Amino acid sequence: MKATRDITATQAAAVVVSTIIGVGVLPLPLFTVQAADTGAPLVTLLASVLALVGLLFVTLLGMRFPDHSIIQYSEQIIGKWPARTINACVIVFFALLTSLTAREFGEVVVTSVLKQTPVEVTVIVMLMLAAISARNNITTFSYIHLFYVPLLLVPVLMIITLSLKNAEPLNLQPIWGNQPSGMLQGILTVAALFQGSFVMTIMIPAMRRPAKALAVSFYSILIAGGLYVVIVIAVVGVFGAQETKKLLWPTLELAKATSLPANVLERLDGAFLAVWVTAVFTTLLTSYFLTSVSLKQMLRLEEPRIFTFFLLPFVFVLAMMPANIAKMYEAVARAGQIGLGLTMVYPGLLLLISLLRRKRGKPIER
Amino acid sequence: MSARGDVASKKNVRLAARLSLLLLMSALLSGCWDRTEIEDRAIVLGVSIDKAPPEAEKEEDPITHYEAKLGPPTSDLIRVGVQIALPGRIPLGPGESGGSGGNDPQKTVWVIDVVGHSVNDALMNLQQELSARLFFGHLRVIVVSEEMARFGLDNVDDYFHRNPEVRRMAWMMVAKGEALALMKAAPKLERVPSLYLMTTLDQGIRMGKFPQDYIGLFWSRKAKLGQEGFLPYVELKKSQNVETKGLALFRDSRMVGSTSPLDIAVYMALKGNNPGGYSAFVEVKGTEVMTHVTHREEKTTFKIRDGKPFFTFKASFELNLEEKMNDVLSAQDPSMIREIEEAQSKGAKKLIEAFLEKTQELDSDVLGLGEYVRAKSPGYWNKNVRTKERWQRMYKEIDYEVEVNMNIRRVGMKAQ
Repeated sequence: MKATRDITATQAAAVVVSTIIGVGVLPLPLFTVQAADTGAPLVTLLASVLALVGLLFVTLLGMRFPDHSIIQYSEQIIGKWPARTINACVIVFFALLTSLTAREFGEVVVTSVLKQTPVEVTVIVMLMLAAISARNNITTFSYIHLFYVPLLLVPVLMIITLSLKNAEPLNLQPIWGNQPSGMLQGILTVAALFQGSFVMTIMIPAMRRPAKALAVSFYSILIAGGLYVVIVIAVVGVFGAQETKKLLWPTLELAKATSLPANVLERLDGAFLAVWVTAVFTTLLTSYFLTSVSLKQMLRLEEPRIFTFFLLPFVFVLAMMPANIAKMYEAVARAGQIGLGLTMVYPGLLLLISLLRRKRGKPIER
Repeated sequence: MSARGDVASKKNVRLAARLSLLLLMSALLSGCWDRTEIEDRAIVLGVSIDKAPPEAEKEEDPITHYEAKLGPPTSDLIRVGVQIALPGRIPLGPGESGGSGGNDPQKTVWVIDVVGHSVNDALMNLQQELSARLFFGHLRVIVVSEEMARFGLDNVDDYFHRNPEVRRMAWMMVAKGEALALMKAAPKLERVPSLYLMTTLDQGIRMGKFPQDYIGLFWSRKAKLGQEGFLPYVELKKSQNVETKGLALFRDSRMVGSTSPLDIAVYMALKGNNPGGYSAFVEVKGTEVMTHVTHREEKTTFKIRDGKPFFTFKASFELNLEEKMNDVLSAQDPSMIREIEEAQSKGAKKLIEAFLEKTQELDSDVLGLGEYVRAKSPGYWNKNVRTKERWQRMYKEIDYEVEVNMNIRRVGMKAQ
């Protein structure tokens, strides 16, 4: 079966951008100020650069094997069984990422808006939405993302612009932070928020011109990373590093403290949460889609939608595992670190080996 | 065979249709999970917190703790008053004021007070005697008595910081005397007393009477390593109106002193806040005139001198002449205006220095001078300060110079 190649560079970039912007937006400033107080924007910037490097590994690999995803070409590069073992880990990791995203979403919702709704209901509704939407083919999948990207970017940028008038420059100085000892750890934590960009590996085989994949990676990290940096600048600029350390979801708090001019809306957290639900949905959709497609590819099955509902109970149970919010963030942090190994080091090694062994896929015929 | 199959499949379709109708109904008719009617909500507009004497223990039933083993908690008693909006009674438009209640604020809100060992304990006690669920999404004003503020606001801050319903744009203020009295007060200008308190301060910002100091800003300032928070210091006056008496100065979350109202102007001048809103007497040639500040510019710079931070404040003001006591001076004479400007510069300089000295005595760096050091000289900061406690000690020792520049621009409609 020949996959259709009809995804444009813009669509691919939209998929990566809206995947990266997700549930992590809310605690992001907290992670960064914990790492290096006023150096938070710098941490975010360096993390984006690190994420770009990781994404470039995936992209370069994808361009060497323009017809296949990492699940398929890894078997050509390092042999069938070693590749299958690691690929299984990658698939389990993305299932875990899906469940943690859903759980984190549920926790925010149950804490701040729907206090009486059980967290299980919020999580299952979100997962169902992702599962149903993940039954679409990759073209529809990327259209869904393209449709939502402006809905994510515009309101968030608006909230940031409105809040910047309350920012104080002193809060952002010195730019490398007073106690930057945790900077390296912080960079890794924040880089872990970019893991969704791994979706590039299944986008390249469907792209009309895989040669454009490099530009796509570059621009999508530029947009998503740029948004992350301005969010951190706004939050730390308005609250100051020390106050940000006291807030579980500083970005939500920023929306709460920001009002539309002329008292149209006195607090924007409601509006922000509405946007954020979309952001979480697109992220969930990608990780769910990636999990089910990768599983299908690993088991060499033809029917593309076979795993969408089959995965649901597993992901749901995983999501419900952490006992409380503290345990959940511990799990998120740990998963993030493991994920860095799987989504950055693994492709990096594959790229190196494929260069050494001079393996490459057939160039696509036009 | 095929005909029977057709019938069966038709039956199935019908069954499916009915079932899906049922599903649809259950989804559409059941409403929202978290739905609460507005009547079932006790919308809290204002909260007051006082310290309560130990005798008040008798008033409290064991609601969050058992008397015998699991408590009562060791922390001191506080008295929490809440002002709850009565949904039907608050007139929405200007035309609706007639009829039963009229403008009597006592009829638009309901003030209840309870005692407890902490804010949440008191609110739980209150909830126990109230049918509707307390809702803090519209909380506008938190009034804390001076006694409570001097005792420390850690618990109060924690509760309102943690509660997701509370907005950061609410006001917190320190009341001279009893805080509950401000909840019970019935100012005539607004139908809802809490809204009057809020308007006092919001208008204060617009008239240049008070700097922005919402509860969120207070928290941010208090958290900073090189800065302390402050709150508006208010007093209930005899016609149920509220006077802004000055700044309540804090060190960490404890109030350590208060200032005079004119010190608010000094604070705003040192921060370069606009518009200017204060007037002051100026003594020139044995007589006095009054000027009104309309605009301020301020620049704070610092350098490290002799191992200590040395600050330079350069403030310049735009003024209008507002009043003279007699006709000794002529407002048309440029040299006279020059003299008034100089006299006022001297006076302002003294006021500013007195204010800085006062905050130094109290170890309360409300201006956030430490933040300048932290931000601009991180090397010096990391070597000599690092922590908030160390800065509080060092703040006493810093030196500064003040330069003031006054410019009288207008003299009103009188020619002399």
